Amino acid sequence: MTAPPRIEARALKAAYGPNPALCGLDAVFQSGEIVAILGENGSGKSTLLKVIARIVAPDGGELLFDGRPLAAIPRRDTARRVAYVAQSADLVFPIRSLDLVLQGRAPHGRGFSADSPEDRSLALEAMRACDVAGLADRDASALSGGERRRVFLARALAQEAEVWLLDEPTSGLDPRHRIDFLDVLVREHRARSTTVLLVTHEVDLALSLADRVLLLRAGRVLASGTPQEALTPGTLREVFDVEARVDRDADGHRRVMWVGRTGP
Amino acid sequence: MRARGPALWLTAAAILGGCLVLGVSVGGVRLSPLAVWSGAGPEGETARLIASIRIPRVALAALVGACLALAGAALQALLKNPLADPFLLGTSGGAATGAALASLLGVSPLLSPGAAFAGAVVSSVGVAALARRGGRLDLQRLLLGGLIANAFFSAVLLGVFSLASSETARTMLFWMMGSLADASPQKPLALLPYAVVGAAALLGSASRLNLFSVGEENAAALGVHTERSKAVIFLASSLLTGAAVAFAGVIGFVGLLVPHAARSVVGNDQRTLLPLSAISGAALLVAADAVSRAVAAPAELPIGAVTAAIGAPVFVYLLLRTP
Repeated sequence: MTAPPRIEARALKAAYGPNPALCGLDAVFQSGEIVAILGENGSGKSTLLKVIARIVAPDGGELLFDGRPLAAIPRRDTARRVAYVAQSADLVFPIRSLDLVLQGRAPHGRGFSADSPEDRSLALEAMRACDVAGLADRDASALSGGERRRVFLARALAQEAEVWLLDEPTSGLDPRHRIDFLDVLVREHRARSTTVLLVTHEVDLALSLADRVLLLRAGRVLASGTPQEALTPGTLREVFDVEARVDRDADGHRRVMWVGRTGP
Repeated sequence: MRARGPALWLTAAAILGGCLVLGVSVGGVRLSPLAVWSGAGPEGETARLIASIRIPRVALAALVGACLALAGAALQALLKNPLADPFLLGTSGGAATGAALASLLGVSPLLSPGAAFAGAVVSSVGVAALARRGGRLDLQRLLLGGLIANAFFSAVLLGVFSLASSETARTMLFWMMGSLADASPQKPLALLPYAVVGAAALLGSASRLNLFSVGEENAAALGVHTERSKAVIFLASSLLTGAAVAFAGVIGFVGLLVPHAARSVVGNDQRTLLPLSAISGAALLVAADAVSRAVAAPAELPIGAVTAAIGAPVFVYLLLRTP
């Protein structure tokens, strides 16, 4: 596995029909860092991930992988390097968890079909790493949210991707599944030195997990930096229109307390 | 839940073979397969004569069934929707209108697949445009769009029907109700190349369809050129539907029923599901045609009535299960 690419967005724009989602966003993601992306609903967080995953085509600005414009790289090549884990996957048809993980091998195989013995062993290994090997033969559409999230993470591992794009990976998880998921995420991120871009509404998660934080508002970056630099009462007020206090808990970890709404 | 390997294909081939034999034997005159095969003696001669009429009909039924089932299976995976079917989405109606208008203009019947294909493309593009909302296809709008397209195309056909001479009127009825009764030996042969091209395109897209059946964003994120793939799959499905309708009129529910049944046997891997749907679709339509000839022999039930009688309850069942 090669080192994750340095990803750079310059004045990036994207829209859904007449509705703008990214309005000239500038950001740099360094190789191997965990970046938490925060912002209100509709601030462009998910769209940024989708543009990097090449699900949504940008309609202005530039997106560079190690200095190369994304548009100049074949889609399959970036699909081998970038894994996208959606917020929710409503599976209409039954699919075995192992087959879902094997889909991560699709960009590596001929004609998107990939289930050679090598693919299978990579997929099973990835499932073991994510503690979901026991679910391999289960129907993924019948798994709990937490199990399914780890199956999709296993798929990113099987994909041998260097960049993981995770859209609200902990939303809707109970505490146990949340802890299980984050343990696996951090462990595998360290083992593989991947870049992780994580969209979340949990400020505390950003404080505890991220190397860097990106705060978005109306399709632009409002603040960025280490969690300590970027998450201040001032920036939180500007991003969320909410008064917040940043305290330290008994162990000296920073915690954000929401105080109340600003303004009328 | 997942049958695989040679046993699966041998079973499927045996069922299709049984249906084909049944299809040739059953009808106004009942034939023993042995008499058809040996052809010896006066009874054998007669049997051969009748078989020479029935064999093209059975071959046409098999091809039409395979085309419709393949188109339905591919559309279901592409749209991530078990209710997708060329009939319900209005593609068949568009194809019938295209073919009917061409025949009205005096175009040779053997070229009518082209006109039906054009009608199918116009209809599926129109319905997809109607169902598009914020960059994605909305399920409710898609089914409503199909309903509207079907209503519109029936109106066109009925309009032509009421103005036409009695001879043309009979042809119009054929497009609307579907029929395998006028199967000449040329028809299955003329249908074959369209079926082969459409089937090859869809079978070649099977792995991409696996990614689509989890979601279009899923396919895009895994490197699929989604716009290009969607175009290929829509065009191939329209080609199969158009060709089937051009030679047999509108026969509903095959594309809905068959992939559903096949999926319950082999799961949703399109590389297995598509070929199995083709074989099962062929078997189903041959069997349904045999039933339509046997029930009220020597009279015939319309084939579309037989498939609808099986298909409508299955549609209701699927609709109730769809969240």
